[in-house]
Amino acid sequence: MTDFTSAGGEAVELRRGQSLLTVDRKTRRRNAAEGRFKVYGLIAISIALVMLVILLVTIVVRGIPAFTQTFVSLDVPLRAEVLDPDGTGDPEVIRGVMTFGYAPLIEEALADAVAETGVQTEIDAAALVQMLSSGVAADIRDRVQENPELVGETVTIEVLASSRADGYFKGRVTRESLERDRNLSPAHLDVLDAMRDAGIVSIHFNWDFVWGADASESRPEEAGIGVAMIGSFFMMLVVLVLSLPIGVAASIYLEEFAPKNRFTDLIEVNISNLAAVPSIVFGILGLAAFIQFAGLPQSAPLVGGLVLTLMTLPTIIISTRASLKAVPPSIRDAALGVGASKMQSVFHHVLPLAMPGILTGTIIGLAQALGETAPLLLIGMVGFIASNRPDGLAEGLLSPNSAMPAQIYEWAKRADPAYYERAWGGIIVLLLFLLAMNLIAILLRRRFERRW
Amino acid sequence: MYDAKLDERVTTMDDIKISARGVQVWYGDTHAIKDVDVDIADRTVTAFIGPSGCGKSTFLRCLNRMNDTIDSARVEGTILLDDENIYDKRVDPVQLRAKVGMVFQKPNPFPKSIYDNVAYGPRIHGLARNKAELDDIVEKALRRAALWNEAKDRLQAPGTGLSGGQQQRLCIARAVATEPEVLLMDEPCSALDPIATAQVEELIDELRENFSVVIVTHSMQQAARVSQRTAFFHLGNLVEYDVTDRIFTNPSDPRTESYISGRIG
Repeated sequence: MTDFTSAGGEAVELRRGQSLLTVDRKTRRRNAAEGRFKVYGLIAISIALVMLVILLVTIVVRGIPAFTQTFVSLDVPLRAEVLDPDGTGDPEVIRGVMTFGYAPLIEEALADAVAETGVQTEIDAAALVQMLSSGVAADIRDRVQENPELVGETVTIEVLASSRADGYFKGRVTRESLERDRNLSPAHLDVLDAMRDAGIVSIHFNWDFVWGADASESRPEEAGIGVAMIGSFFMMLVVLVLSLPIGVAASIYLEEFAPKNRFTDLIEVNISNLAAVPSIVFGILGLAAFIQFAGLPQSAPLVGGLVLTLMTLPTIIISTRASLKAVPPSIRDAALGVGASKMQSVFHHVLPLAMPGILTGTIIGLAQALGETAPLLLIGMVGFIASNRPDGLAEGLLSPNSAMPAQIYEWAKRADPAYYERAWGGIIVLLLFLLAMNLIAILLRRRFERRW
Repeated sequence: MYDAKLDERVTTMDDIKISARGVQVWYGDTHAIKDVDVDIADRTVTAFIGPSGCGKSTFLRCLNRMNDTIDSARVEGTILLDDENIYDKRVDPVQLRAKVGMVFQKPNPFPKSIYDNVAYGPRIHGLARNKAELDDIVEKALRRAALWNEAKDRLQAPGTGLSGGQQQRLCIARAVATEPEVLLMDEPCSALDPIATAQVEELIDELRENFSVVIVTHSMQQAARVSQRTAFFHLGNLVEYDVTDRIFTNPSDPRTESYISGRIG
């Protein structure tokens, strides 16, 4: 771009005696080249910004609907003759009633609610229930089992609408798309509209998406990312606890103590290479080493954490070494000059100064690990956990679990478009986590930053 | 040239602090110091002068084994500090450096408070039993470095916030706080303005009361002003070593004369 020979073989103009008020050709050409370069730069930045805006807008527009859900408010008559025919009040008897027993009660409550709106419909009560989530009976049963005294009363319960009904209000499902749908017919939509007008159906924020567990293929309205969040949290814990001390200790040794010879050069080259190894390779290594050889359980956050530790270590070592290198040697000399040992000079002076860089590198490594999917697929960190209640299934480092990116991948794979929406919603949660981690990195940097 | 000399004190070579014999230094294949013999007297300022790259700083760094931190550096010969060879296998360089303090070319205070800068050495060597003793040590060191009056009201302020000259005096205070016997100074004034330089030079002359001071300098005027003995290094050789007055008035080696009169260097 910049050439030192004058182009076109023209003679170099004499500078002596030339006026400064007129710009000579060569200068003009140089200025033009500089101007062009600035324009290229601006174009590059604009393209990058536009891409970023497109990305963020798409994620937000597609993901936000996942956070709201359509609910139907029903007055469910919890009839004693169905749930507790002998009037024992014994929780054991009530537990004996399966979800099947609740179905007629829900049908009745829904038929009443529809009748209340005054809308005329030919759909029978059994088909109307298609508007509700198939998990409603189980939810109500759980609730009754928790409070057996509810039996015999009529309680107002807000239940989930089915994903088709939910999709209709979000614009995902239209009358045309329902023509060939087995679950919901266009006639249902008239009923739904009437219920919406009557205030029986409402759309509001759904915390169960954030804290809840995954649900089966046919019930996307019940699925949440909460359990995967727990899995990711445990993995990050393992990664932090293992990779920070190991990475920092390795970097300090290599940077400050290790002799410079062929062997340490080899280690250095290999660490840089490891940072570029595809993550799926670490996944298969983890499968072979931790699960097949060491016999650790599959789908466990501990194994996921170990694999991600292997993946994060090179990042942490490289960034830690860079921040150790950035500490001026005069500080080391100063410490050695007053008779500090090598270790004292490192731990009293060099390490505190390198701290902001080390922490930033660690958090960036963690953020990278948080978003990693491929190795998790290989070690089975895609456990399907439909409920984390009542016994805290996903609590612990060894119990099977999933992770946020793996959960998003699972959702994106499923056929129902409602799951596609949830995948985008999951990406928003993941991005919020990454944002929070980067914020922590910036704050720590500010906190530890010192001038020298 | 030496009319600005602070005062005249007779020095003798009766009391030899450091005695170097046959010192050779290699950096990889480069022969940086060639067979240097020097005796450095106690309670005297000894100046090392010479053109850039002549090995004077390298030789200075041999005296407290700072060259050990450079992997490629190799030192041969003997350097006796109070008749003990500091390159003996049994000598721990950390212990040696507590005895032979060093002040560097660029002021390099720790990014900590003024107090912590001075107290660092005494703390790691366990020179104070309690806070009061440490306070005394810090005050004494700052007074010796002629920084007490400026710093006493802001001991907790960061040392890096001081001016260049103050920072260098802080580094001197930090070095003397560990009560070394020898103080090595590697061009301590090269990053300072003339006023700060004058203050540091005055300080060096006062430090001679208690320490043996070895100073590397590029400024011949400075060598003439502050030192009692001067060594002239050239291309890794010690060309001439004598009383400062004689070096600057009547050098015996033509190379010294050329350097002092500005013909080489």
